[in-house]
Amino acid sequence: MAIRIVIDILMVVGLVFCLAGVKGLIKMPDTFSRMQASTCISTLGAIGVLLGGLLYAIFVMGSASTAVKIVVIALMIIVTNPIGAHSIAKGAYKAGVRPEKPMEVDDYGRDFND
Amino acid sequence: MPKTKIPAVIATFILCMAFWVLITWNFSSQELLAGAVVSLAAALFSARFMIHGKAFWLLNPAKLFGLIYYVLIVFPVELVKANVDMAKRCFGGCKNINPGIVKVPVDLQSEYGQAMLANSITLTPGTITMEVTEEDDQTYYYVHWIDVSAPSGKEAGDAIKGALEKGVRRVFE
Repeated sequence: MAIRIVIDILMVVGLVFCLAGVKGLIKMPDTFSRMQASTCISTLGAIGVLLGGLLYAIFVMGSASTAVKIVVIALMIIVTNPIGAHSIAKGAYKAGVRPEKPMEVDDYGRDFND
Repeated sequence: MPKTKIPAVIATFILCMAFWVLITWNFSSQELLAGAVVSLAAALFSARFMIHGKAFWLLNPAKLFGLIYYVLIVFPVELVKANVDMAKRCFGGCKNINPGIVKVPVDLQSEYGQAMLANSITLTPGTITMEVTEEDDQTYYYVHWIDVSAPSGKEAGDAIKGALEKGVRRVFE
């Protein structure tokens, strides 16, 4: 019973971070800030839910193969997510996406002026 | 093109095989044999792109301990701190932000270390690495930062990656 409470808490924490990310995704003023907010979803949001799922698979289902697959999913998210975020941000900048309100510090635009 | 070295092939083979076992989770001899054949083929073709330096550096206990310490303690702590900060900004109406791109110096020699640090920075909410460049033997990252509290240079670098860089240096140098 105690383990179910831990699982539920982990899941709720993950979902709260997902909610924060989604709110940021809708309300943030420019592309890059929206990407920053969405990182919340793919890190602590996903990892919290997956950690809850992992405990569920181990202690409630007792299935090793499900547990291992959850670990693989978490590993893949952690390894692949930053590469995608980096290339989307860089691609958006190169394609000419700029915030409406100019950034206070923009060393990238200063050094790589096209 | 670099030549394929035997230790690199063995290390890549072990990585592929471990991944195969994790995905299939089936220990019948047929599955394992098929996995070994596929892993060997993949390792032969991709080892020279995967591994440039020493293949078995992780067998050094200090570095292995450093990696475990980084993955289980240093990085999660930074991740949770950054996530809580970001969640506060989001629930606070998304007004409390001051985005900008800063240029920060990085003192890491190893390629893998630089890649790992750049990915760690991107993975923490609030910072995204946009470009890695090298000028006069000094590596610089261009980092998009949601709340620029210090202009470019050392100070911004410490705020963005202080603890992370120390952890990565323990693993790769």
